[in-house]
Amino acid sequence: MALKFLVVDDSVTMRRIVANSLKSIGYDNFVEAADGKEALAKLNADDSINFVITDWNMPEVSGLELVKAIRSNEKTQSLPILMVTTRGLKEDILEALQAKVNNYIVKPFTPQILREKIEQILASS
Amino acid sequence: MEKQLSMEQVFQKLGDLKQFFVFGQKIVPLFKKIIDFMTDIVPLLENVNNSIQDTTSKMPKAAHQINSVTNATEIATSEILDIVDSMSADMTKIKNELEDMKNGFFNQRVALDKLINEYPSLNGRLEEFKSALVIDELESKVVGIEEIVKKIENDITNITISLQVQDITAQQLASVNHLIHSVQERLSSLLFDFNKTEGFQLPEIGEYDEKKHPFNPNARYDRNHQMQKVADELIQSNNKTSQEEIDKLFGK
Repeated sequence: MALKFLVVDDSVTMRRIVANSLKSIGYDNFVEAADGKEALAKLNADDSINFVITDWNMPEVSGLELVKAIRSNEKTQSLPILMVTTRGLKEDILEALQAKVNNYIVKPFTPQILREKIEQILASS
Repeated sequence: MEKQLSMEQVFQKLGDLKQFFVFGQKIVPLFKKIIDFMTDIVPLLENVNNSIQDTTSKMPKAAHQINSVTNATEIATSEILDIVDSMSADMTKIKNELEDMKNGFFNQRVALDKLINEYPSLNGRLEEFKSALVIDELESKVVGIEEIVKKIENDITNITISLQVQDITAQQLASVNHLIHSVQERLSSLLFDFNKTEGFQLPEIGEYDEKKHPFNPNARYDRNHQMQKVADELIQSNNKTSQEEIDKLFGK
């Protein structure tokens, strides 16, 4: 199955770094969104997106709210979601798990960590 | 009889009056001390008031400068990423060229071996020619260059990892901005208490909208990925833990 990623982060720098990392590990099909609101609009408009990589702290609709919105929509509820965030406290991670993210990366990350998490998600789904 | 009663009352009142004067004599120095204290403290309070006004008026500028720093570092980071991208593209070109060279050496070696087999009468002169081409030496140089290219690519990856610090510091600066805003609010409220009798106008401070400017106050640059290890452990145990247990942890 060809993967099409949706990379969601309000930081232009981080979107570029995630995109570059994806390219370096062999995934070059992705679209970007600057916040949760834009991400939901893109998911609504593009059925070919089959993997979401999202930040947590974003304006308007946060990453956590985005995860909850994806999980509560019948059409998108089974999408794999990888959260990539600066939030590394235990409570944060547990909150994300409770919202049903598939995996979790704490910034800064390496392309190897990104590959490992994507592969773990794909292997379990 | 009535006269005697009135006199007693007058004496009693005089006694009260005397006590009042005695009390007054005791209390007047205290009042004087309070007035002296007030005389000293009022200019000090005015100084404090002026200082708070001055500090409060500077705070929006400080917050603005922090935003400028965030924007400038984001632009600079983007410029570095442009260079990194360009270097990556160049490295890919160099790698392809080196691969072509290696293929060329292989083809040269095969062609020469074929000639040696086809013309044995040349009595080793082709071997001499092959050795003069120093194909093996050139090939080992290419392999050496490939190692250097690999190292540069690794360095590029490390630069990219380090550039994530921009996002982390941006969140730390947003946290400082939030703090400045809170202090400014508190100081403005103090200013209002100081100056409310004079029809004082509070300095303009906008609402800090966390929804529009979210941040993680605990963001930090963890190059050793210790927080990632915690996340991995939690995810691993979550795979074994039931949702009920997670809900229990959150008190649901």
